[in-house]
Amino acid sequence: MKRFYFEKETTDRGGFYVPLYRRASPVDAVSIGYGLFVVAYLVVFFIISLTNSFIKDPMQVDIGQMFMSPSFEHLFGTDFLGRDIFSRIVKGTEAFFLPGLLCIAISTLFGLGFGILAGYYPRYCAGAVFYVLNIVDSIPRFIFILIIIILFNPSIYVIMIFVGITSIPKTASYIKAKVELLKKNRFMEASRALGLSQATIIFKHIIWIYSKTVLIIQATLRMGESVLIETSLSYLGIGVQEPAPSWGNMVAMGKDFFFQGKMWLSTVPAVIILMTIMGLYLLGDGLNSLYNEKVSR
Amino acid sequence: MSRFLKVFSRELANALLLVIGVTAILYLSFNLMPGTFIGKGGGVEGYLNLLKRLFSFRFGVSPVSGRDIKSLVLPAFRNTLLLTFGSLFVSVLIAVPIGIFSAYRRFKSYSWALSIFSYIISSIPVFFLGYLVLYVVARYTGFLPVFSVSASARGMPFLSFVLPIVVLGLGNDSISEIVRLVGGELERVMSLDYVIAAKARGENMLQASVHEGIVIPLISIVFSKIPFIIGGAVVVEHVFNWPGMGRLAFQATLDRDLPVLIIIAFLSVLFVRTTTLLKDMILYSYRTSES
Repeated sequence: MKRFYFEKETTDRGGFYVPLYRRASPVDAVSIGYGLFVVAYLVVFFIISLTNSFIKDPMQVDIGQMFMSPSFEHLFGTDFLGRDIFSRIVKGTEAFFLPGLLCIAISTLFGLGFGILAGYYPRYCAGAVFYVLNIVDSIPRFIFILIIIILFNPSIYVIMIFVGITSIPKTASYIKAKVELLKKNRFMEASRALGLSQATIIFKHIIWIYSKTVLIIQATLRMGESVLIETSLSYLGIGVQEPAPSWGNMVAMGKDFFFQGKMWLSTVPAVIILMTIMGLYLLGDGLNSLYNEKVSR
Repeated sequence: MSRFLKVFSRELANALLLVIGVTAILYLSFNLMPGTFIGKGGGVEGYLNLLKRLFSFRFGVSPVSGRDIKSLVLPAFRNTLLLTFGSLFVSVLIAVPIGIFSAYRRFKSYSWALSIFSYIISSIPVFFLGYLVLYVVARYTGFLPVFSVSASARGMPFLSFVLPIVVLGLGNDSISEIVRLVGGELERVMSLDYVIAAKARGENMLQASVHEGIVIPLISIVFSKIPFIIGGAVVVEHVFNWPGMGRLAFQATLDRDLPVLIIIAFLSVLFVRTTTLLKDMILYSYRTSES
């Protein structure tokens, strides 16, 4: 497996193979580590909220315990109906986790397809494909989502499908640039001369060996974006609706008590959103500078 | 010069084609929607009618509120332009010094803290940042008017622009990206041969690399961020009650006022394509004047 990387991985330290973890600078290591921590707690929260154990009932209203400060019993306090904020935060991962994965899947799959079409067969497809992708790209994403909301009155899954569609152009343009770069390489010529089929060249050599890292970086950044979009929409009241917890609508509900000095109601979910988005962005950018890809958000 | 005109006309035709494509998609989605609407149906003829109306800026009357859409949308569009460019300016003002600072190798240990700071700023959810700023300003200082245009500015209406512009400038999650891009590019350019030669001649390294290292990446990223900032403006305008396009779009969503939303989408696509055209032409003239 490693020998496929020779031109990329042996450039440091006089041509010897240097493993990834030793090439990482401390900054990259810290940001990737923090990003992995964020991914870990997201996954753990999601699994806990699926099993419905270990946490208090996030819907349990308890009027006797409104506006409790953080304590040992209620880790982040309780909100204006006495519901436990920590368990609502844990349950709130359900609002974006699977929809975000759906968004990633759509943008990756179609971006890969369009990118390879435009990059590998530039004479026939590039113009048409990039005309369509530019159309999608030039509508501001939020306005597009608002139009979708008017038209279909969708659930968060459908919204995230369309978010995925709006981020296809970005992935596609990176893949296209990558394929164009690879086509100039000798090994492509050699593999064609050896008689490998086009499917092998595309799926094994282009996608699996050389485009993996771009796709992973894109996927992490997409996840951050979809967290941001889901929380913004829920904050505005057009995403996940109130009894179901979501980090966005927790901030929206808590902000009414912000001016009364009851700050943790909205501060806790906002800080969690901040930590999560920052971790995902740091993970993406750290991987970016580790693999020396030039992918931007 | 004729070459410039040639490139310009090609890009202009491209942009027009894209805008027409977008309107086609909008028309399609308009017709996919269940229920009956004014202006729905009519097939190709209806589409040509819509195009004629859109490009002559005769938008008609909103079926929900009964108001003239043009007089509703254009002032809001102007306000959003102000917000967008102001917040871009704030972002650049904060991000570029950090990027320059982090490009120097000898400042590495300080610039790490600064770039983490830029990540924290750019990933604060903008709705929370807005309320935090409102809380601090309204409760503890009180020298800036909190709610917007002409409400309480006491003869200085521009003061009410400050808070939303600063909040959107901080929170539009582009600061960390600008820092990363400018820092990386500047670091790469500063190790190029001609910059080292300039240093050997006794010139300033930053001055020698400012064109390739800062201006070109900055232009390309700032213009590509505009659609995202229009999106972020929806939330900020909601928080600050700013009479702009985003709040209008949100209101139209709640009212199910599709024609207004489609006009807003059309105007913003026009705006985005215009800025993209501008970016391409600036970069083109930059490259030709350099070589």
